[in-house]
Amino acid sequence: MTTAVFTCKDNAGAAYRRMGQRRAVTYTVFCVILTCIIALNIMKGSVSISFGELVSILAHHDTSGINGFIVWKIRLPRALASALGGGYLAVAGLLLQVFFNNPIAGPFILGISSGATLMVSLVMLTGITLGFTALNPFMSTLAAFMGAYGVMMIVMAVAARVKNTITLLIVGLMTGYLCHGVTSVLMAFAEKEQIKGFVLWQLGSFSGFRWSEIQIMLIAGGLICLFVYGLAKPLNAFLLGEEYAASMGVNIRVFKILILMVSCALAGMVTSVAGPVAFVGLAVPHMVRLSFATADNRVLVPGCILAGAVITGLCDFVARMVFSPVELSISAITAFFGAPVVITLVLKRRMTLS
Amino acid sequence: MKTDPLLQTCTLGVGYGKKQILSHVDLCFFAGEFVCLLGPNGAGKTTLLRTLSGHLAPLEGKVILDGRDLSSLKSGQLARRMSVVLTVKTMPALFRVYDFVAMGRYPHTAWTGRLAEHDDAVVMEALALVGAEDLAFRDISRLSDGERQKVLIARALAQEPDIMLLDEPTMHLDLRHRMQIMGILQTLCREKGICVAASLHDVETAARVADRVALVKDGGIKAFGPPEQVMDKDAVSFLYDFTNAGFDPVLGSIEISMPPCTGIKVFVIGGMGSASVLFRLLVRKGFEVVAGVLLKNDIDCFVARSLGINCIVQDTVLGDGIEQACEMFDSCDFVIDAGFEFNDLTMHGMDLICRALESGKTLVCLGRDRKRIMEEIMQAGAGKIRGSDIVYCDDETCVAGILEEKMRENKTGTV
Repeated sequence: MTTAVFTCKDNAGAAYRRMGQRRAVTYTVFCVILTCIIALNIMKGSVSISFGELVSILAHHDTSGINGFIVWKIRLPRALASALGGGYLAVAGLLLQVFFNNPIAGPFILGISSGATLMVSLVMLTGITLGFTALNPFMSTLAAFMGAYGVMMIVMAVAARVKNTITLLIVGLMTGYLCHGVTSVLMAFAEKEQIKGFVLWQLGSFSGFRWSEIQIMLIAGGLICLFVYGLAKPLNAFLLGEEYAASMGVNIRVFKILILMVSCALAGMVTSVAGPVAFVGLAVPHMVRLSFATADNRVLVPGCILAGAVITGLCDFVARMVFSPVELSISAITAFFGAPVVITLVLKRRMTLS
Repeated sequence: MKTDPLLQTCTLGVGYGKKQILSHVDLCFFAGEFVCLLGPNGAGKTTLLRTLSGHLAPLEGKVILDGRDLSSLKSGQLARRMSVVLTVKTMPALFRVYDFVAMGRYPHTAWTGRLAEHDDAVVMEALALVGAEDLAFRDISRLSDGERQKVLIARALAQEPDIMLLDEPTMHLDLRHRMQIMGILQTLCREKGICVAASLHDVETAARVADRVALVKDGGIKAFGPPEQVMDKDAVSFLYDFTNAGFDPVLGSIEISMPPCTGIKVFVIGGMGSASVLFRLLVRKGFEVVAGVLLKNDIDCFVARSLGINCIVQDTVLGDGIEQACEMFDSCDFVIDAGFEFNDLTMHGMDLICRALESGKTLVCLGRDRKRIMEEIMQAGAGKIRGSDIVYCDDETCVAGILEEKMRENKTGTV
C-alpha cells in the first residue's frame, strides 16, 4: 500500500478512502469468484450441465428430470456445503490465531478435529451406540461435536491455570496426537467393513449432504458468524496482547471462553458433517490478511467467510474432477493448494504473520 | 497537592499466587504528578504496576482509584481512567500506527469500534503530542525502538486517561529518544494534568524529572517522597547495593570508582572545577589519587568524594590543609596541578604548587597557558625552588600518558 508520509488530516482521509476502495474491490472480486466456483461445481461432473440449463433448473425449481435431480439433490447441496464449511473453518482458524497470538494455530492443529475424529471412531468402529439402536448419521455428528468440545474443554481447563498461550498450544497439539493414537488403536481392533466407512469419513468429503443439514449449517453457522463479527472489536484489541486488551476494557476471561466456544462450535460443526478438513482454517486467514493488507478483524471476518468458501469450493471441485471418477480426499487438495500459496505470500511480503 | 489522591494503595501486598513480592505498599498518586518507581531488577516494580493497573489482584490490602476500590470497577470504567504502556516488544503485523493508536479509543467507541470525528481528532492530537504524526501510516512492526515507544505512549494517551502507568518506558532507547520520552511524559503531567507513574532504571533521570520517587527493594517500599528528600547518596547506594559507585544528589549523577591498580600515586592540586574531568580519568586508569586542598563547596570536592578519592578539604582559604597536604607529597609519585585559575579562592592552591616544587617532586602542569604563568611564579620565588622538573600538558589525556610512561619505567626498573 501507500508508503508516503502523511502529515495532515486531509491526506489521512484520502488514504483511508483509498483503503476502503481497495477493500470494496477485494470483496467484490471474492464474491464474483465464489459465484463462479459454485456455478462450476454444479455444472461440472460425470454429467455436464450447461449454464443455460442450470439457470432454467434453478429458476423453475425443477427436480423432475435427471439433471434437475442431480442439481437439486447432489451438486447444489455439495457446492453450498463446501462453501459454508470452508467459510466456517476459516473463521474458526482466524479466531484461534488471534486467541493464541500464533500464526500456526488452527482447528486442525489444536486437536479440535482430532478430538472429533476420536469420538467418531469410537462410534463407528466399536459400535457403541449409547442407547441408540441404529447407527444413524446423526450419531457421528453428535460424536464429532462431543469430541471437539472434549478437546476444547481440556485446552480451556489448562488455559484457566496456565497463562502462556504457547503452553496452551502445545497442550492442544499433544491432545491431538493422543487422540490420533487412540484412534489408531481402535482401528487395529475394528472390523474391516467398519474401518472402510471410518476411513472414508476421515478423509473428509462434502458429498452426500442433505438439505436439512445445510439448513442447520446455514442458520446456526450464520448466527455464529454474525456473533463473531460483533466480537471484532475486542478481537482487534486482543491483537495487542492480552494485557493491553485487558487495560482497554476487554473482559479477558469471558472473552477467552467466548472465542474458544465459538471457534469450537464452528469447527466442530463442519468436522461433524464433512470429516476433518485440514489446512483451510490455518491457511485462509493468512491469505485474507495479506490480500486485504490489514489485521483489522472487522474486515477479516467477512473476508475469511468469502475466501474460505472460495478455496474450499475450488478444492472440492479439484478433488472431484482431477482423477474422476475417483474422488480424492479434500484434505489432500487443500494442502496441495494452500501450502504453496501461503509460503509464496509470506516470502513475498517478508512479513511475520500473527 | 492538597486534593484527594487519584490513586492510592492501602497496605497493599503484591505478588503472584502464594509468592508475595511486595508488602505494605502505601503509595498515593496525585493528578499532574510524575512518580517514578526505582529499584533493582526483580524488586517487584513491574508486579506493582500490574497490580495498580488491575491486571493482578492484590494479595492483601487494596488499590483505590478516586475513592473506589479498583476491583469494584468494571473493566470499561477503569479503561477510561487509566492506561498502560508495557514492555511487550512484539507488535501485531499489518497494523498501521494510526490504527494502533486508534485502538486506544476502545473504551470510548461503540461495539463496532467505528471512529467518530472526535475520536480521530483525539488520535491525531495524541500522535502530535508525542511527535509521531509523520509515522501515522507506517507499519507498526517496522518502527525503531524509539519510534515504537512514542507510538505506545500515543496509544495510551488516546485512551484519554487520568493516570498512565508505564513499565520502563526508556528501556533499549538511545539517549535522544530517552530524553524525548521523558520530555513527553513531563508534558503529559504539566499540560494534560495526567498522573504519570513509571518504573525507571535511570536514577539520574528520575532524580531530575520525577515529582516523587518510590524506592522499591527487599519486599517493600523503602522510601516514598520528592527526590530531594528521598534520594541521598546512602539511599541510592543501598537501593542498588553499590560498592564501587556512588550517587551524588548535588551532581545528580553517578560516579564509578575503581580500586587503584597501577601502583602509582598522584597528588592533584585542583579547585574551582578544574580537576573534575582529570579525577574521572585518573580513577578510570587505575591511579591512586589524593586531592587537595579543596574548599568544602567546590564541585571538585563533590566529584572527588563520589569517586572515592581521598581528599583534603577545608572550609575556607585559610585552613590548615596545606601542612597536611605537604605531608602527603612524600608518598606520591607525582604532583599534578590541575590548571585552576589563580585568584583569591585558590590562593592555597598556588601555595601548594610552590611547596610541591620546593619538595622536589615532579610537577605535572595542566593547561595551555600554564607554562607562562608557572615561569612567572618561579621567577618570583626563584630562590626557594630546588631542582625539580616541571612537565607541561595541554590536556588530561596527556597527563595520563605521562603517568603511564612512568608506570612502564617502574616495571622495567624492577625487572
